[in-house]
Amino acid sequence: MQPELERELVRKCKSGDAKFYEPLVRAYEPVGLRLAIAMMGNVEDAQDALQEAFIKTYDTLHRFDLRRPFGPWFFQILRNQCRDMLRSRKARFNIEALDEKVDQRPGDAERGPERTRQRNAARELLWKGLERIGTEHREILVLKELEGFRYGEIAQILEIPEGTVASRLFHARHALREVLLAMNAESP
Amino acid sequence: MAGRVSSDDLMRYLDGELSPEERSRVEAELRASTELQREVAIYRGLKADFQELSFHPSTHHKSVWDRVNTRVTRPIGWLSVVAGVAVWMTYGVYVFATSPVDPWEKLATGAVAIGILMLFASVIWERYREWDEDPYRGVHR
Repeated sequence: MQPELERELVRKCKSGDAKFYEPLVRAYEPVGLRLAIAMMGNVEDAQDALQEAFIKTYDTLHRFDLRRPFGPWFFQILRNQCRDMLRSRKARFNIEALDEKVDQRPGDAERGPERTRQRNAARELLWKGLERIGTEHREILVLKELEGFRYGEIAQILEIPEGTVASRLFHARHALREVLLAMNAESP
Repeated sequence: MAGRVSSDDLMRYLDGELSPEERSRVEAELRASTELQREVAIYRGLKADFQELSFHPSTHHKSVWDRVNTRVTRPIGWLSVVAGVAVWMTYGVYVFATSPVDPWEKLATGAVAIGILMLFASVIWERYREWDEDPYRGVHR
């Protein structure tokens, strides 16, 4: 979405016209859902988190600075919503339901059954690794590796200085690497 | 970290966040250090694993917009209802108070009306307390 158009939509929403919120929701929903699924580990909780995040975003629009981009601000609220839900009794990271609820990538069918089986096994191992490293490491890896955000955007979403992103990523990758090595050793 | 490349710079190199000068410096270190090359290969492998993990949420999922829209527009509806009821009640009380009816009748009718309102308010408050303290209210499934 064009930044000017986005700013105009936010401005109209701020003046209380909820119908202008729909294009923003539709534009940010796909990325938001992927992010929430990766944070929560299952589609149902991810949709709940996404819905609550959109509502909280709308309710706090009066505090939003129109000079800033909307995306990182929304993702920051979504990330906090996911963390709150994971902390509360309402949800826990659960990778069990993922495979059947998430579409395969384009080209999966052409790879052949053996390649698909290997890929699914590798995927499952990585999901389990992400589950084990905890929310703090997982969220920064998801933002970088699955969504491809730049360091500046990650810093805004996680509310940390930009200079800290590299160090947080190093610790997260190191933790994941250690966990994957341990898991490989557990299953010969 | 291997050589003179810090772990932060290594991450920024892998993620394409270095300036051209910084990148050249890291690449020079990389050519000189097999240990650093090994580190880079490990982290590149990890990044490649994530590419395999990339997924697309099913296109069959219903948009959350309907639910969001209901929730964001609901307060306006409630506000309108409460404001309307308040205006009608104020007007009713005014008409009733200024009508030429016997004061005893006014008193009795007023007591009935206030009693009903108090009972109604206490039931709503009780229901709210029950809902607020219900440990299972967040369980949907």
